[in-house]
Amino acid sequence: MMAAIYAILLIAFVLDLLGRGRLAVCCLFLSFIICVWLFLWEIYSPEYGFRMPWLQVELGPIFAPLRSV
Amino acid sequence: MRGTKNTGGRIAVVFDRISLLGMLLILAAILTAAMLMQYGFGEIPCPLCLLQRFAMFGCCFGLIVQLRSATSEQGTGISLIFAILLLVISARQTLLDLFPRPGHEYIGSAIFGIHMPVWSVLIAVALLLGLATRLAFFGGRSYSVMGDGLLTRRLVRGLIIYVVLLCAINFISVIIQCGAGECHTFGYRLLR
Repeated sequence: MMAAIYAILLIAFVLDLLGRGRLAVCCLFLSFIICVWLFLWEIYSPEYGFRMPWLQVELGPIFAPLRSV
Repeated sequence: MRGTKNTGGRIAVVFDRISLLGMLLILAAILTAAMLMQYGFGEIPCPLCLLQRFAMFGCCFGLIVQLRSATSEQGTGISLIFAILLLVISARQTLLDLFPRPGHEYIGSAIFGIHMPVWSVLIAVALLLGLATRLAFFGGRSYSVMGDGLLTRRLVRGLIIYVVLLCAINFISVIIQCGAGECHTFGYRLLR
């Protein structure tokens, strides 16, 4: 899939060089859509989904001594 | 009075072109450095790193469109979209590897003490700031691109061809690393 993204991007650049501006922008946005899809696929975990449970924003024990002061 | 206004307008156009060229030049340098890191120091890029490179190429595409067009801001819009994409991908990767866990240490070495995804966040923010500042100062100005000097036109043309060549090299590199399937950082799929 990554190869497809770069292939379409290269086609967009070449079309732009050849003066086919509108077609080039269409190719670029096609590769953009595939990129977003691949990004979501890469970060999705069957265990966590899109969440990042290792990021804890609750008050941790590190603040306990401060509270007692 | 009119002469002063014309001179002021001409200076603004020159600064506008310099800002676009500067951003394109810096992005081309960053993408070249990434390739050098990959093949010179054996840093095989992860899938999210490759997507960040793609987002940078998208920004380059927008800047090239903007350098050629003097009457529309289409190129700036394209660059802004891809700068946001770069920011989202790099911020997610930074959060993903924020706490070292088994199998999730930072990928790649640090440059000036800052790791690659964090550099990408900084680059995306700098791009967004640069494009927004350009729009704030020079947005909506229409002028003739033909008014550029021969040297500027040659420089722009050369830089465009260089970016397209870089894109072609990256495409070949992705084929060698990933083939037609999933990308991994273990090695180059086609060289095994």
